[in-house]
Amino acid sequence: MTQVTNPRPLNIRVPAAPLPSRTTRRDGRAAALLIGPNLLMFTVFVVVPIVGGLALSFTTWDITNGFPKWVGLANYHRMFADPLVWQAVETTLKFIVFGVVPTIAISLGLAMLINFKFRFVSVVRSLYLIPAAMSFAASAVVWRYIFLDGPGYGVLDYVISRFGITPPDWLASQSWALPALDIITVWLSLPTATILYLAALQRIPDSVIEAAQLDGAGPLRRARFIVWPGVRYMTVLVAIIALLSFTNGSFDLVNILTKGDPIYATQTLVYYIFVNGFSFGFFGYAAALSVLQIALVGGILIVLRLLSKLLNR
Amino acid sequence: MTRSSGGTRGISTRTTRRIRIFFATICGLLLASPLLYMLAGSLMSNSQLSVQPPQVIPSSFHFANYSDAFSGITQVIQPRSFLNSVIFTVGAVGLQWVLCISGGLVIAKMRFRSRNLITAMFAISLFIPLITTLIPTFIVTYELRMINTYPGLILPIAAQTGFGTLLFRQYISQMPEELFDAARIDGANWWTIFRRLAVPLAKPATAAYFAISVLTAWNMYLWPLVAAEGGSLQVLTQTLAVVGTTGQGEVTPQNVIFASVVIVTLPMILVFIAVQRAFIRGLAGSGVE
Repeated sequence: MTQVTNPRPLNIRVPAAPLPSRTTRRDGRAAALLIGPNLLMFTVFVVVPIVGGLALSFTTWDITNGFPKWVGLANYHRMFADPLVWQAVETTLKFIVFGVVPTIAISLGLAMLINFKFRFVSVVRSLYLIPAAMSFAASAVVWRYIFLDGPGYGVLDYVISRFGITPPDWLASQSWALPALDIITVWLSLPTATILYLAALQRIPDSVIEAAQLDGAGPLRRARFIVWPGVRYMTVLVAIIALLSFTNGSFDLVNILTKGDPIYATQTLVYYIFVNGFSFGFFGYAAALSVLQIALVGGILIVLRLLSKLLNR
Repeated sequence: MTRSSGGTRGISTRTTRRIRIFFATICGLLLASPLLYMLAGSLMSNSQLSVQPPQVIPSSFHFANYSDAFSGITQVIQPRSFLNSVIFTVGAVGLQWVLCISGGLVIAKMRFRSRNLITAMFAISLFIPLITTLIPTFIVTYELRMINTYPGLILPIAAQTGFGTLLFRQYISQMPEELFDAARIDGANWWTIFRRLAVPLAKPATAAYFAISVLTAWNMYLWPLVAAEGGSLQVLTQTLAVVGTTGQGEVTPQNVIFASVVIVTLPMILVFIAVQRAFIRGLAGSGVE
């Protein structure tokens, strides 16, 4: 700090001991102008709702009473005493586990299946990827007819009964409604997951696989000792993306197809949040439930992180 | 791209190869079968649709289902909803793109305090789905008097800049530093660098971003559901949700409903086929062909 003759304190933000090999150039003002609109929007519509949602969970605000009223932990007490909450948590976890795990397994299998070159490879791959263009809403409509019960309806029931199996009532059944929603969401999640695994597979050098083949390693041994180590790292990303997709699906599909029925069998936590917030107008309570939902997703992410550390050890 | 690991080494590998192609094709058809069923059903009469065993290829084509989806007593799709979906998608993605690419440049190449903090905020936001902040987001939009307006439909979604900003940050940070230094030495300010350097050079990232974001916006159901309760702002996913909801679908014939789903989905399937590579690049970074 030798610039005592400088009338303006230009260097005021320069660290006393400048970092080695790093210029002291600052683009503060230009940076602020360029990123400003982004940060402004992000703050108003993302940061404020996140922080505000947390604050809201300590209030009651049932639309009818004009201002949010501070109630401390009352919403959380109510949450812990509400049996529907824990049923919804269980439903959500079931929906996620029985959806994400098959998504991972099937997409890895599919990626291995199409990871080679043949004449119409791009056409065939398109068949795998095109469902990615569909919305939950559109899928819900089509799958509703696929799952349709009753004589003379339901393509799936027809196929299943050809094998001599009595088809379940799918969306109307207490035990099959949730698996049915899982099937739709797995179907919608497969393209993305397959793309990611394909990307990982294509980074495994051909020479490694060919060498293993020459050494007499069969498909199973190749899968175990060459393919799996090569795609392990991608599994975490596949799981995270699938997790977020299942979180969204657990609202869209439930709201369109089942409304949480039959007898709460498909009432996921996000749907219960929506019902409390927008059907009952319990904004404060719904906000507390949202905190639980964020904690749930966060908890699963931590578990995934631990798993990935174990896997990549 | 993996070359065929069989090649021409003997008949047995060639047979394995054929079997593999066969299985790959069967699996592909199986995965696409709900879409093919929808497409076939949209061209059938209702009696054709309820025949057992189900028809795979329609014995006769009923193109009238498509016009019935737009008009008359069986109308599913309001032209206004179609327009709303286009406005919402173009508005949200277009605005978000400008925000994300400029933000990405700033984080990747400019030096200022709290850069890491901002990056962390964007990253964290990726793991907080909109459904968990839906009510406060609704309240903010409501307090801004924007519920049931186009800005209220578009702005909160355009503001979800976490994914895009990090995507462009990633891409731009891989551009050589010398390029930006040279431009600055030539006297270019950051606005010029943004317009003349970052935007043109980040075209592949832009393509990947558009591929993913256009699909997401067109397919979005949750936010329009609460931000546009009134009929005039309804988007297509809401239209489909109405006929998809159990009990309400019976009013409209199944073939017209299928035609409506095709009408709503086809633009995205065409977009998807056109930008498939960009979509894959955006998801997988690089390495897939």
